[in-house]
Amino acid sequence: MISLAGITGSRPALIAVMVMMVALLGIPAVHNGYVEIVFRNILMYAALAYGWNLLGGYAGYVSFGQVAFFGIGTYCSALLNTHGITNIGAGIALAIVVNALVAIVLGIPILRLRGHYFGIATLGLSLAIQDLVANIDALGGTGGLALKQVDDAHFFVYYYAMWAVAAACLLGTWLVARSKLGYAFVAIRENEDAAVVLGVSPTRYKVIAWAIAGAMAGAAGAVYAPANGFIDPAGAFEVDNNVFPIVMSLLGGIGTVAGPFVGALLLAGVNEVLQRFFVKIHTLFFGAMIVLVVMFLPRGIVALIGMRGGWRGFRRSLGAYRV
Amino acid sequence: MNFRRIAVVAALALIAILIIPVAPAPAAQDTILFGSPVSLTGALTKEGHLTQEGYEFWKNYVNAHGGIKVGGKTYKVDIKYYDDESKNETAAQLAERLIDQDHVNFILGPYGSGTAFTVAQMVERKKIPMVEGNGAAEKIFSQGFRYTFGVLSPAKRYLEGIVELGREKGAKTVAISAASDAFSLEVAKGAADYATAHGMKVVYDDKYPNDATDVSGVITAIKATNPDIILNAGHLQDALLIHKALKEQNVMAKAYGYSVGPDTPDFVNALGKDANDVFGGAQWSDAVKYKADHPGFYDTAKAYAVAFEKVYHHRPDYHNAESSATCLAFEYALEKAGTLDPEKVRDALAALDVTTFYGILKFDSRGLNVYKPMVTNQIQNGTLVTVFPTGLAEKKPIYPAPPWGSR
Amino acid sequence: MEFAQDVINGILAGGILAVAALGFSLVWGIMNIINLAHGAFIMLGAYCAYELFTRFHIDPFISVPIAFVFLFALGYLIQRFVINYVVRAPVLTTFLLTFGLSLLIVNVALLIWTGDTRGVSPSYVGANFSIGPLTVSWAKLWTLIVALAITGIMALWLGRSRMGRAIRATAIDVGAAQLAGVRVAHVYAVTFGLGTGLAGAAGALLSLSYGINPTMGDPFLIKSFVVCVLGGLGSVQGALIGGLAYGIVEGIAPLIDFTVFGQHFSGSGLQNVIALVVLLVVLIVRPTGIMGRATA
Repeated sequence: MISLAGITGSRPALIAVMVMMVALLGIPAVHNGYVEIVFRNILMYAALAYGWNLLGGYAGYVSFGQVAFFGIGTYCSALLNTHGITNIGAGIALAIVVNALVAIVLGIPILRLRGHYFGIATLGLSLAIQDLVANIDALGGTGGLALKQVDDAHFFVYYYAMWAVAAACLLGTWLVARSKLGYAFVAIRENEDAAVVLGVSPTRYKVIAWAIAGAMAGAAGAVYAPANGFIDPAGAFEVDNNVFPIVMSLLGGIGTVAGPFVGALLLAGVNEVLQRFFVKIHTLFFGAMIVLVVMFLPRGIVALIGMRGGWRGFRRSLGAYRV
Repeated sequence: MNFRRIAVVAALALIAILIIPVAPAPAAQDTILFGSPVSLTGALTKEGHLTQEGYEFWKNYVNAHGGIKVGGKTYKVDIKYYDDESKNETAAQLAERLIDQDHVNFILGPYGSGTAFTVAQMVERKKIPMVEGNGAAEKIFSQGFRYTFGVLSPAKRYLEGIVELGREKGAKTVAISAASDAFSLEVAKGAADYATAHGMKVVYDDKYPNDATDVSGVITAIKATNPDIILNAGHLQDALLIHKALKEQNVMAKAYGYSVGPDTPDFVNALGKDANDVFGGAQWSDAVKYKADHPGFYDTAKAYAVAFEKVYHHRPDYHNAESSATCLAFEYALEKAGTLDPEKVRDALAALDVTTFYGILKFDSRGLNVYKPMVTNQIQNGTLVTVFPTGLAEKKPIYPAPPWGSR
Repeated sequence: MEFAQDVINGILAGGILAVAALGFSLVWGIMNIINLAHGAFIMLGAYCAYELFTRFHIDPFISVPIAFVFLFALGYLIQRFVINYVVRAPVLTTFLLTFGLSLLIVNVALLIWTGDTRGVSPSYVGANFSIGPLTVSWAKLWTLIVALAITGIMALWLGRSRMGRAIRATAIDVGAAQLAGVRVAHVYAVTFGLGTGLAGAAGALLSLSYGINPTMGDPFLIKSFVVCVLGGLGSVQGALIGGLAYGIVEGIAPLIDFTVFGQHFSGSGLQNVIALVVLLVVLIVRPTGIMGRATA
């Protein structure tokens, strides 16, 4: 289903997101290391969500294994770092190249699977890569790698790097959505077999989609590694990070340009606020919140913004998916 | 009801809440504020709570007995906690929040080696001293960090006592299985190295995934090597799986030892009689015969244990004790330094040398407490007793272990 | 000899995986709902067995049907009053909902039972018998038998009973089923209840060998994913075959041992990699799983 406002999603939401992104440039000025971390995380999750959204929201191939690329990105950056190259840009570049290659090589067999089977294969992939990395001593094994970081006065570098990655993902999604690529993706999502008939080569476009999605996740990982100062297989390939981008894209509005950012801001932001007020049971409230939002806003927040009819329109929308 | 407007307002509100810190109640002038990220949810919940209990127990004692005297002034103590959900990155980020947002004076370490490492890296950057008692991986202390101190013995020592015990009784072969996490692997390597260095043969040395749901393959491989001693470096869940599987497959050894498990009552409750005669490596037990040479807290392990049990209704295990010891290190360092200045307190910690109910608190040049020996406990008749080293032991070890079914 | 023992152990372990995956597979295959809270329901089943054992000394095997009934009721209510709001939404929406549910359930369990790991230790745990050089655990054998029985009963019931047929009809075409007089809301609730009930039964069986704590269900959720797809979605026999196959692969994995470029790899540490390779090979040869139907 093409979303309410066409392939890029609701325009006002997109403008709001761009305004917020610009505003976020000012975060380091607050001079609070922790606030910087909070928003850096939001940007990181936004990048992950954009990656997933491109493959899952636009091309319709739901991947449960995005974290595989994120993790590979962290290790690319970490390996450069432990061998003397601490330039963040170099880490990002390597991560993008490696991930794109991995996506292309693995994509050809794996993207032949459809639907649920593709999803599980990607999940298995992320678990397997984690295992593999944990077994290779040259990559630090289970103990992980410690990275050299910049000093406290220059720590904002990591924030801006993550902002740049997130902005690139946002821009990239917007450009792709409006281009031939974007329409090819949607064609594949809506009806892959019909797309073939119409001359759209699905394998080529699916691999491209996965490569871009992997590059986005990898770039985020490449910044995360030095910012965190330490990575190990468990942290780099954290299973939760497979689910969060999906959850964020869904909450924000799947298959739109504004959705992933909104979802990341909402989820990570609310989680943070809950942590502050409910130290012990924040996860419980978090779970309850997700349940309620999905029950009453199944098409995401962005759809809510575009909804007409005010309160009554909302009430009517509640019955859409019931039985 | 214009949702657009509501949404914009809500988004702005959210960003505002995130940026503007909840103005913390200004730390009372005469309070030292500690901060600690602990695992209150997630896979390490139980251990996180034990850590918190240890911290709280010390805090309440100190506050009830007049506080800490630093440089002529008496201070009360408070501790602020956040839940790191058992995740490494979260622990470091929360510790940073404690420093930047809540303005804590010092950091009390989290539970676990992974979390301790990330927090150690962060405090190094911020130049705020941290003492931790629950992360034993040596990796934390081999990075040249100056602001992190660990009161516990390093990971590699955990199972050495059991190997030594076995060796004294004539055991020749050892089988070691480990979970695939940094701490367990260090424990396993330490045990393997110790065995080899003392003339024993390691006949099995392999690892299994952290989330393994079935370890029969590991057990069949161990069985084939017919070892005298079977060791495991893992977590409570694996310890239970392995011990049950050993019995199911009729694997007989002269001694069984686990790095984690025997010290928790859960182990005995879950295994019943089969838990008997199993050894466990521990940082401390309430039977050790230390006597504190400094006032300010309980002076013997027994005194600590009795008082602790009154409050928390369970025997303290070593996680509780090492957490309280963590705080003690700060207490004595602060008294010695005479000031709250982080640099001076750090130096006082580096020069610390006291004996407490927990053992000696003294750090080597890396910040690790290599001066305190590990103890080896054994479950005898459903109760945990200390059997090694002989100087600290309360009972003799039972070796070899009787066959399954006759424990 | 190790090989034969490993295969036997794998089959025995696979039984539980099959029961655990069966509920997940049904809900996914029939209702198109990926129940991320499946692990949480397994955990609740294990706690059921624990409470019944500790308070009333009821044997875990007897707890299996009790846990089934209790979790069935819970699942029915959850579907009827929560999930029903979005049951016809795209699969990802329910995915998100069950994600939230799993957080809720695990944390409520944490509040009720704390993070302590508990166990159930009836006297026969560890009892075993020998066939030649092979050792077989009684408890695990009975678990396998129960697993086979459960699978058999489910297959029969889905095939023959009225409700079973209604469920299958609804899976094929909701509209047609409604026209034929099926009360779809009720059928959905029953199906979901079955899924959670089976999870509860699996949990009760697990309590015999696995420590019980609020997060114990996570590895089983992931394995259920893989087993389902391996065996073919929505197929009862598929879940069984997938579970046994997966169990065997995990069981013999530790036998693999090789060194490449100076890096030593042991099968026991590479279980997930091996399982994935097997899964991928199967999917490439049979894209809908071993017993799956050729629908999307």
